[in-house]
Amino acid sequence: MNANAPAVSRQAKTPTWLANLVDKYTWLVVTLVALFVLTFAYGMITAPNFLTWFNFKTIIRDAALVGIMAIGLTFVTLSGNFFLLSMKETAALAIIAFATAMSAGYGFEISFLFTMGVAVIAGALQGVLIGLGGNPIVVTLGAAGLFFGVASWWSENLVISFRRPHGAEWLGSGSFLGLPNITVAFILIAIVAELVLRYTTFGRQVYLIGSNRAAGKATGHENFSMAIKTCIIASSCSAFVAIAFSAQVSSAHVNYFSSSFGSSGDMTILVIATVMVAGNSIMGGFGSTLRSSLGAVFISTVDNMMVLHGFNSGPRVLAVGLMIVFSIIVFALVRRGSRVQE
Amino acid sequence: MSYFKKAVGVAAAACLTVGVMSSAALAQAKASIVSFNGPAGEAYIGRFIKGIKETAELKGFDIKVFENQFNQAEQDQQVQQVLAAGQLPDVFIWWPSDATAGLGSLRALHKTGVPVLKINQLPNEQDKQYIFGYAGPDDRLRARNAGYMMREAAAAKKAAGGTSFNVIALSYPHSYGGYGLSINAFKEAIAGSDLKIIGDVDEGFGQANGYKGAAKLIASVKDQGIDFVYGMDDAILTGGINALEEAGYKMGEDVIAVGTVCNGDKQLIEEGKQFGTTLQSPLHEGQLAIKLVEEYLETGKLANYINFTPNPAVTKDTIETTALRGYDGKLYGISELCSGAW
Repeated sequence: MNANAPAVSRQAKTPTWLANLVDKYTWLVVTLVALFVLTFAYGMITAPNFLTWFNFKTIIRDAALVGIMAIGLTFVTLSGNFFLLSMKETAALAIIAFATAMSAGYGFEISFLFTMGVAVIAGALQGVLIGLGGNPIVVTLGAAGLFFGVASWWSENLVISFRRPHGAEWLGSGSFLGLPNITVAFILIAIVAELVLRYTTFGRQVYLIGSNRAAGKATGHENFSMAIKTCIIASSCSAFVAIAFSAQVSSAHVNYFSSSFGSSGDMTILVIATVMVAGNSIMGGFGSTLRSSLGAVFISTVDNMMVLHGFNSGPRVLAVGLMIVFSIIVFALVRRGSRVQE
Repeated sequence: MSYFKKAVGVAAAACLTVGVMSSAALAQAKASIVSFNGPAGEAYIGRFIKGIKETAELKGFDIKVFENQFNQAEQDQQVQQVLAAGQLPDVFIWWPSDATAGLGSLRALHKTGVPVLKINQLPNEQDKQYIFGYAGPDDRLRARNAGYMMREAAAAKKAAGGTSFNVIALSYPHSYGGYGLSINAFKEAIAGSDLKIIGDVDEGFGQANGYKGAAKLIASVKDQGIDFVYGMDDAILTGGINALEEAGYKMGEDVIAVGTVCNGDKQLIEEGKQFGTTLQSPLHEGQLAIKLVEEYLETGKLANYINFTPNPAVTKDTIETTALRGYDGKLYGISELCSGAW
């Protein structure tokens, strides 16, 4: 009786919800998350003008382009095909295709369809090679060079512009109920993607093949067609971002997504970081597009908060990088804990 | 078989003819030049390369261009390859990817005894002993002219009864060498006027980063009122103008925008959304480089060690009439001089 007394006393002091959390995730994870939440909350409260509707819209809008690309890439990752290292170059090819068609006077609709067609071909090409057994990293590295080369050659490395009004302004700079249309598109794509993953046969196949390729094969679901489908989705999302951005600035150049400096860094790396920061499993089978959407908003929020605190690009890159590493560690610990429990 | 022999004979003769012609052309070349610079895929550098190649051809020089992808290690390797090949040119043109990190390669080029002309990045205490001159833009003059333009716009606003003169700056990364030169020159130019800088953001280069940086800065300083925006270059400013418009500002009325470099969107100036820019022509930069090479080879020295390209102001009123005579003697209009969507 006496031997059990201290344990009873400790249990009595620890709230049930906390005990449950610790039981599920371990003290380390709970402490790390608590520290993070406190830091984040402090940053939010002390950042001037952070907690305003205008700034909230800014954060979501800022997250939209990377978020849409990350949603597309999530399908590839969940299906167990790692990443496409060609996201940025696919966008470069798409933006040149769109601006070329627009500047030739084909109008928004035809230019949009033409660009999406280019993206489908780009995605299918990579999907076929990956589906045939090619290493996704190697295949998409090669594809990145191919797409960028074609885009550079096609545009002769020049800026391609199309004069306003051009019929694409509604997508690039229009708004709906006070929200920029690109933000609306991001929200809609996030919802549709999540519904597709959760409630369609295709979505279940993505998880099945991602978590256990052998089981997928045994039940008649080959990675060949899955790789093609998911690569097409990812490429299409890249192309959509390219179209939206081109519509916004009424021009295109192969380097629009290749900024060497600044807090955005490399677009492909940022998109991959977004997928990772959200806790999606790099090996496939675990995660969701909703996580990736929230990951994009999270990165955007951290960066936004730093700007409002007056930090320049160096510390912001550092902070975003630290947050990504932190999230990956926490999610890894959580998943390890889950496996131990199993 | 006889057809095959004939074909082989014709091909051999053609090769021989081409070879002889090439040798003759090389023999006729006044001098040979090797240029180390960034990629033609970047719009500004693409035009610079066009400038050096066309002018070199015009002057009878043989020129080889080695492009790097904004990567000093790659550029260092190219230098080693050229030196190892043993066929040294008469002049090196040196546009370092990173002037500090590339100092070793510059020293290696200098050691060969071949004169080196530095491009685009002003000489510093460390590297000026290795070069015979500099050709490129004057970051300070460019920013100063932008400041004077903004003063002019502010004076007009004040005359019309305006009382608020808050300025936001959309800057290069603060770690980039051009930032300090630009912001200090701009501040000097607006000193003593009603203009007051209330915010400075350094998201990165290009339209996308300009948009992102501006969106966050707007959220931060919106309460104070934004009346003027200075873009450290027009590409960044183009993104910034998009963000301001999205935030509900009417460009040209609520906010007056001034940029530099003319690598943005001509239509923004035509529409009055951008008050003006200062010209910085990469084509001129390339032509000037070859002119200086010619001068050095003929006289053994340069009349001026530092040689800037011209940076005239361009506004809506002067956009169609602005023209500069190139160092090749031809007259160039604004569309040929600028490097963005012009």
